[in-house]
Amino acid sequence: MKAIAILALKEAALIEARAAGTAEALEQVRIKYLGRKGLLPDIMKGLKDADVSERPAMGRYANELKQELAALLEKRRAALEKAAAVSAPDSFDATLPGRWRAFGARHPISRIIEDAIRIFDTLGFTVADGPDIETEYYNFDALNTPADHPSRDTQDTFWLESGQLLRTQTSPVQIRVMESRPPPVRIIAPGRCYRRDTTDATHSANFHQIEGLYVGERVSMADLKGDITCFAQRLMGPGVKVRFRPHFFPFTEPSVEYDFSCHVCGGKGCRVCKQSGWIEISGAGMVNPKVFTKVGYDPETVTGYAFGMGVERIAMIRYGIHDIRLLYDNDKRFLEQLAQ
Amino acid sequence: MKVPLSWLKEFVAIEVTPEALVERLTFAGLEVEGLTRIGSDFKDIVVGEVISVNPHPNADRLTLCDVATGRETVRVVCGAPNVRAGNKVPFAAIGAVLPNGMKIKSAKIRGEASFGMLCAEDELGLSEDHAGLMQLPCDIPAGTPLIEVVGGPDVVLTIEVTPNRPDCLSILGIAREVAALYGCRLNLPSIKFPETGPAADGPARSATHSVAGGLTVVVEDTEGCPRYTARLLRNVTIGPSPLAMRLRLARCGIRPINNIVDITNYVMLECGQPLHAFDLALLAEGRIVVRRATLGEKMTTLDEVERKLTPDMLVIADAQSPVAIAGVMGGAQSGILATTRDVVLESACFKPALIRKTSKTLGLSSESSYRFERGVDIGGVDWASRRATALMVAHAGAAAARGVVDCFPVEPKGRSIVCRFDRVRDLLGVDIQDNEIASLFEALTLTIVDRSKKSCTVKVPTFRPDLEAEVDLIEEVARLYGLDKIPSALPHSQFVSGSADQAPPERSAQARALRPGEPGVNDAFIRATIMCRDTLVGLGLTEIINYSLVSEKLLTLCDAARTAQRIVLPRPISVDQAILRDALLPQMIETLGRNRSRQIAEAAFFEIGRVFFRNDQQAYTEEEHVALGLMGPVGRTGYDKRSALAETDSFLWLKGILEALCRKLFIRVDERPAYEGQGAGLAFQELTVAAPPALYDLGCFEKNRAMVITLDGMPCGVFGLVREALRREWRLVEPVAILEIRLAPLLERVTTVPAAERLPVYPSVTRDIALRINNRLRHVDIVNAIWKIAPKELTTVELFDIFSSNEIGVGCKSMAYSLTYRSGERTLTDDEVNRLHLGLKDRLRNEISVEIR
Ligand SMILES: [Zn+2]
Repeated sequence: MKAIAILALKEAALIEARAAGTAEALEQVRIKYLGRKGLLPDIMKGLKDADVSERPAMGRYANELKQELAALLEKRRAALEKAAAVSAPDSFDATLPGRWRAFGARHPISRIIEDAIRIFDTLGFTVADGPDIETEYYNFDALNTPADHPSRDTQDTFWLESGQLLRTQTSPVQIRVMESRPPPVRIIAPGRCYRRDTTDATHSANFHQIEGLYVGERVSMADLKGDITCFAQRLMGPGVKVRFRPHFFPFTEPSVEYDFSCHVCGGKGCRVCKQSGWIEISGAGMVNPKVFTKVGYDPETVTGYAFGMGVERIAMIRYGIHDIRLLYDNDKRFLEQLAQ
Repeated sequence: MKVPLSWLKEFVAIEVTPEALVERLTFAGLEVEGLTRIGSDFKDIVVGEVISVNPHPNADRLTLCDVATGRETVRVVCGAPNVRAGNKVPFAAIGAVLPNGMKIKSAKIRGEASFGMLCAEDELGLSEDHAGLMQLPCDIPAGTPLIEVVGGPDVVLTIEVTPNRPDCLSILGIAREVAALYGCRLNLPSIKFPETGPAADGPARSATHSVAGGLTVVVEDTEGCPRYTARLLRNVTIGPSPLAMRLRLARCGIRPINNIVDITNYVMLECGQPLHAFDLALLAEGRIVVRRATLGEKMTTLDEVERKLTPDMLVIADAQSPVAIAGVMGGAQSGILATTRDVVLESACFKPALIRKTSKTLGLSSESSYRFERGVDIGGVDWASRRATALMVAHAGAAAARGVVDCFPVEPKGRSIVCRFDRVRDLLGVDIQDNEIASLFEALTLTIVDRSKKSCTVKVPTFRPDLEAEVDLIEEVARLYGLDKIPSALPHSQFVSGSADQAPPERSAQARALRPGEPGVNDAFIRATIMCRDTLVGLGLTEIINYSLVSEKLLTLCDAARTAQRIVLPRPISVDQAILRDALLPQMIETLGRNRSRQIAEAAFFEIGRVFFRNDQQAYTEEEHVALGLMGPVGRTGYDKRSALAETDSFLWLKGILEALCRKLFIRVDERPAYEGQGAGLAFQELTVAAPPALYDLGCFEKNRAMVITLDGMPCGVFGLVREALRREWRLVEPVAILEIRLAPLLERVTTVPAAERLPVYPSVTRDIALRINNRLRHVDIVNAIWKIAPKELTTVELFDIFSSNEIGVGCKSMAYSLTYRSGERTLTDDEVNRLHLGLKDRLRNEISVEIR
């Protein structure tokens, strides 16, 4: 073979490379000349048999062929890709909807209960439980409810055949916990409660409460205020303030009702807070010494606070729900809106 | 409790805006629910005298009145039925604006010109009364500005009084609070009046039997009536009460009747003591007996309803029959009439519980019963009687007979309470000085009878029966000092004994701690429940919460067999909420159906909640359950949702969720599933096995499309496809898969700490096997057969294809499995694996009747 033949081969290769219009064709050219079983390796193999005077030129031309062809192929490939990106139709569609199973949604009631559990967990509160079917003793007597108090009426309370009742509040859990252990006590007790209310936009015969109780030495109303404020800010937002109004409950003394400052308007007044800047939440107070006496605690050595809150009410405020029945309607669209 | 500010200010001279007062009262425990502005300055409204009344030519109901306005006489068209010549009535001249915003203009009414308007009370914003024109006293000259007659604008507060503060159900009570809050003096109205006639006491006076001026009072039930007083007022003139009194009553929501009745009501509003007036002439033998009603006794009350009385009701009777239901309502027969001459004025104290019960039994409540059932001030009974007597002497021309009947056998001892200053500071968490505490008590007219360095002793007046113990006094300090001044203590964390963190780690003890509804601290169970919820949400299910109370219809629709177990409410509020649910599935199906009816084609729901039932000993039992429900192509993603949904799809998706949940909760889910319910961890049983307690009746499932779930061999739940007839109730056309399982056994292993195992070192080799088998053979039969004959190198058996075709043949299917072999000691060669696989195939043919393809 002559060196000139290699030059001719190079010309042919470059022409073919220029003519190749697709990535596949370019690859064909590469394989034909530069591939493992291609023409160029063939030439290189034959080099040792060639005329000694021809060998240097042949080597040089072969090298040129290799480098120039590779460069051209790369250039052509890049150009083709660029052109393809501009014009070529492709079945790949990045805009198709994603395909993976979606999460479900937690019900707002159980979500708020869980939030409360987590928030009070950081203060060392453990979760306590009690039965929905209660005795009159735990639901009323032990909580210092007078024997002829109207809340005991069959008008307000669901009594069962056995003389037991469906608890009207989660407060009986307080009694059960205090009976079962010496102080100190730090619990929260979420659960279902029942009252003979006819269902409407703000009433439900069955609803959820969260009860809190802290008993120890020198527990004060200032502790109650501090802890509820901490809860309010973590649940509704960092700027939320808490205020107390005096009230009356048989099992606490002093008793208060507590309000959160409106998380929507920051206290300036809006539709949610009915222009008052405050939202009524629920009741709280210092445990009545009579209750301590009932569970065998010494009211001289321990004091404590208790608070309650209606979960549905908080859910309605937090999510802007106008009708309590929506919470028990279980419309998938409604529940998914509130997924978090 | 409605409180007109003009009235309150007669008791306490305060100079504050109504808004400031509302704020102060609310934060002292007297929550003001409403603030109503009433009346106006009545510009251009004067007293008019009706000179003449003539019929309107074009309208029967209208009249043409000539009205003297002081300056002129004008023609007014009037529609009131009670307009008469000579009446003095409010006249609104042209240009006047009524409190309701109506502007008076000259007008033609049915063709007749009218130059002004004669007003009713409601049009002036003075009361709700629209029966006719407001009648003004005849001695006021025409032209007098109305404001001089009825007073200027007023504000009425509506105050919510908590049940422990009956003393605040009166102007006086509220005034006492205001005086304490603002540190001002309390002015009491006059109770002075002249007495006439002979000396009061008759011959036979005792604590329960007393005679005065021809009236005899006997209290038979001194427990029900600890104090009864009566005064006799002779020669009264029945007529309207003074205008100012009538207006005040109206502002407090009480309709004026006549001077005697109005005065009893007025004094009740003033001091909280309900009073009752009897006509002496209508009391047989001039006798009052306070006693229990006898069985079968009846009485018609003032509202003209005949009431059946029972011996647990207290009545006021004359010598023959009841004339009033004590503390609740008077009788129609003994009330004050226009002809009444002599009045018996009752001021008494009745036992609250008795009045409450009577009022409830009769379904009859009144301003009077409302106060008695909360408790009236036994020390203020005579004051009220004197006050009313003074007013009757002044406004009804009454002559008060000398003396009073006062049956008051046991005068209660005044209560004294010791209050420690340190205790106040400790309980409230606020640094308040001793002197400040003492002065707050004094502001409340609680007399300090003794004081030491560390405490003071306070005497409690009879109008504050709610003050029983030291802590009640501390509450008084708190609300007067101001709850807003109590600081927020910095929250601190404190771990108390018995929390989950200290629970014993042994599994058995843990399992015992995990009981739903178990009284007391139950941290671990509830936290595990939360984790369970989150897992299900992560698996794509949405949580629902249904009522605990359900209708019998729904339960029976799903479950006709188990009615005996149910706990039925004796007095439900509606048939929809009549039974405590004994399973979650009925509402699960209903919820899916409700969503389907709202064009929601697919849903995956779960609920975790309590069910209630009677156990074998008939004791009420409650238990936490989990329910799952799937409808529509929920197991598919993207755009393959249109293809028809097969029963197998729904069923297996649900099963997959259960398996995933179990794995998450450390329950063993074997790849070699046990279908006889004997395996460790999750296994299944045929539905024919008797259902475990509290589990849903299996009648709501399609035949051969359901299984009982066992955990460690214990039946715990059930799952399958809803029977077609039941689906039809909610027009659920496609398969619906549901599951219900007890929560406690599911959570039993949740606290497991897994141990790390060494990962395999040598590579595995996979070989496939395709079988043609009869449809009767199930997956589990094949897998079990393979495992039975498997060499020790076989590590997994995985189903990867299943199909039927003409080629396979009728009643048969093809199932293909991928078998993985691995050795723990060395790398298996191809030849070794081929030998193992071939051997397995051969033995499998003998094990079960399959054709290996
Ligand atoms: Zn707001």
